Amino acid sequence: MQNATVNSVGLSLNACIKCNICTSYCPVSAVTDSFPGPKYAAPQSERFRDFGHPYYADAAGPISRPLAGGQMPDASVDYCSGCRVCNEVCPTGVRIAEINARARARIVAARGLSLRNRLLGRNELLGRIGSIAPGLANFVLHNPIGRRLAAALFGVAEKAPLPRWHHETLNRWLARTRAQRLRSDRKVVYFHGCATQYYEPYVGMAAILVLEHLGYEAIVPPQNCCGLPMLSNGEFTAAESHHRRNVARLAQYVDAGHPIIGTSTSCTLTLKEEAPELLDLESDPGTHALKLATWDIFEWLRERLDQDQLPSDLRPLDQSGQPFILPYHAPCQLRAHRIGKPALDLLAQIPGLDLRESHARCCGIAGTYGYKTEKYQIAMDVGAELFDYVASQTSKSEPDSEGSVSFTACDSETCRWQLEHGTGLPSRHPIELLAAAYGLYDLQARRPADGS
Amino acid sequence: MLDLLVIGAGLTGLFAAYTAARAGLRVRVIAHGAGATHWHAGTIDLLGNLPDGEKTVTNWTQAVPELPPAHPYRLLGIDAIAKAMDEFQSLTAVAGLPYVRAGAATDLTASSPQDERTSQRSDSDEQVSDPNLGRNLQLISPVGAPRPVYLAPAAQQAASLEDDRPLVIVGLQGMPDFYPELIAENLQKLGHRARSASLPLSRLTKRLDRSPLHLARLLDQPAEQALLAQMIVDVTAAGERVGLPAVLGLNAHTALVTQLHEATTARSRPSPQSSHSQQAGTSIFEIPTLPPSVPGLRLDAALRTQLTGLGVRVEIGMKACGFHATGRRIQWLETETGSRPLRHTARNFLLATGGILGGGIYADRCGRVRETVFDLPLTAPQSRTQWLRPLFLDRRGHPIFQAGVSVDQRFRPLDQAGAPVYDNLWAAGSTLAHTDPIRERSREGIAIATGYAVAKGVVTSQ
Repeated sequence: MQNATVNSVGLSLNACIKCNICTSYCPVSAVTDSFPGPKYAAPQSERFRDFGHPYYADAAGPISRPLAGGQMPDASVDYCSGCRVCNEVCPTGVRIAEINARARARIVAARGLSLRNRLLGRNELLGRIGSIAPGLANFVLHNPIGRRLAAALFGVAEKAPLPRWHHETLNRWLARTRAQRLRSDRKVVYFHGCATQYYEPYVGMAAILVLEHLGYEAIVPPQNCCGLPMLSNGEFTAAESHHRRNVARLAQYVDAGHPIIGTSTSCTLTLKEEAPELLDLESDPGTHALKLATWDIFEWLRERLDQDQLPSDLRPLDQSGQPFILPYHAPCQLRAHRIGKPALDLLAQIPGLDLRESHARCCGIAGTYGYKTEKYQIAMDVGAELFDYVASQTSKSEPDSEGSVSFTACDSETCRWQLEHGTGLPSRHPIELLAAAYGLYDLQARRPADGS
Repeated sequence: MLDLLVIGAGLTGLFAAYTAARAGLRVRVIAHGAGATHWHAGTIDLLGNLPDGEKTVTNWTQAVPELPPAHPYRLLGIDAIAKAMDEFQSLTAVAGLPYVRAGAATDLTASSPQDERTSQRSDSDEQVSDPNLGRNLQLISPVGAPRPVYLAPAAQQAASLEDDRPLVIVGLQGMPDFYPELIAENLQKLGHRARSASLPLSRLTKRLDRSPLHLARLLDQPAEQALLAQMIVDVTAAGERVGLPAVLGLNAHTALVTQLHEATTARSRPSPQSSHSQQAGTSIFEIPTLPPSVPGLRLDAALRTQLTGLGVRVEIGMKACGFHATGRRIQWLETETGSRPLRHTARNFLLATGGILGGGIYADRCGRVRETVFDLPLTAPQSRTQWLRPLFLDRRGHPIFQAGVSVDQRFRPLDQAGAPVYDNLWAAGSTLAHTDPIRERSREGIAIATGYAVAKGVVTSQ
């Protein structure tokens, strides 16, 4: 484990000046005592966790005393939602969320993993099984008895916003519309992620339609889960095998110089940074090449905009001429890319769109966190800041009757589900809005405008 | 393209961005982390001590000419500093978090932002003949010592040591790092009538988290506000000024201070001093705490809200990792991302990254001192042996803390030959050399005055 990564994550705790800025911003410790706050959980507690890190080595070799079950002094680290707001605001660059993720992985290594957390980490497997018979799967999971059973048996929160399997996966849509797909010398690779493949293929359709509208052929090669749900649940070994498989499957495209573009901000973040850092793979050449080739779709589109390569045939989203008010929340996982808020730059090009930028820290769901019975209420309390913001935009827009809020926008899928759960308004990926403004996509029905 | 990219989201960067955006410029703020506003007491300390360490400043307009010629205040001059302070005061009034100067007699906690704007305007009109111009307030520090401050949030105004009403310092049992007995005892030693009292925090919250910020959020709730008001009335007497740790609400701050003021002054029990207390303004004041500093957070939030209203984006989590210049013009700045560097192109760049504490200047263990974004030439001690004087508490301070960027009259960083390094790069705030802001108690004054000057300079140069 002795390489640069251990230094960048583990030793970054030495940069902590105990200024408490992270504690001021942590959305979780603000609503619960179960989590003592980033400063206490990461840089302070990490000094007392000895897990055979090289920097605890003395002349006799590394000091390693694996913790026995039940003696964990700081199991509260499991209540870190991993939103990374602490990393964002830390003025000295401590990798707080990563320190917590590693601590959680070591707890899992010592104590084992619950069946619930193992399942939540298997997003892809669940997606694949459900898509065999989506109707049946939706019925089983989306009826009150099924939810109560899932809560009682596995600890999956009864009210948490679970997605629905779509009747057609993205791959099946691609196969069905193969003849209509653009062939071009300019190629990009689209990384859809599990949620787009099984639950929201229309987000992938919107992305592919926009890429094709720009004149790019979208290659969608075989790919698997990025491994993030496993990383979040402390299952590092499984995450590593998933990541390595993706590296192998995408290598030929990365080598050919094609950008790997994703619409799921957490998957792209995992390819770029989370997997390399947490799994100590930064010196792995394939991982490094994939990291440098990966883009969030709006990060990539912003480059096209800056180089004047963006088609200008954008039309107002509301044909009646009313202003279209859109509260936009940049999810924590997008902010962790540190690329700014590129969707704002692109959406600002749409005529008549009244964009409202949320400054809420987090929607609360944080991937799989808000699905756990013991954490559901925490996630909802964290999200209240965002839900209240959306509600204030709705009420503000009513008196002057100059358009109303009919959608929210957010780049990350679980955050959109949480937003819908917390606000009652439908939420869209910004790429769906852009595709709709190009006339390629039906925003209401969530399908390509040509009916394909 | 952006007219101005501000690097740093502390008081300097945010106020400069506000000034430039109000003048119609396209501005964006980027920063590695949240700003140092979160650490400071929320007051605007303009000049409390002269560099010789001997004199405490009572009026900075008289003290500024005694500063060394290269000091940022000498580059600006008194009028420019006073103008920046007025503009800052107007901003705080508009933002509903009014700041006041010495001699401001009105009870500001009870006034609305609208009233504030009016009173502020009359203030600046009278500036020429204003006897209070430049006069420092003497407020109470967290250990009960005098603290020279030029502008104070209205909720700290009643801590003035010129006020002769008796003091009661009220602590919250179970809140860490706030010692009412110590404060009262030290105030007594200074000749003030002071006593201490404490309230059972357990009646307000069952949470284990008792940080100032948590308590402030708690006190945004009406039920807890009413309970606190009742508990304060129970332990204080009529005519007393009540000092509390700075936890009096975050969003509902002004309303809470007003409510507490009314609760303590409207008590039925008559007292010889009660008529006096009603004339002298609010009877409640806050004493700053250790970070997270609630008054600092309120100021940060007020500035950020104003910037949002002006369409200025503040993007945090961006660490500079390179830049590109052609000749003497910076074309773009690069920040680190999860993958490739992100390019920020702008016409002008303001370096507002702070000093050693804020991360704008890095001093390594070999004795090298460098500016962290553009690697600008620094005015700093030549070797590590010259960093510190032998005495830790030397009144003249330590040379390393004056390390920083030397600038011309327009606040453009200079090279060794004394010429601007780049034509479109500006520097302001704690990153500047020839000042030791913490020891001078000039940190926020320099932030506001130099940030304002740079913003005006950029506007003029457009």
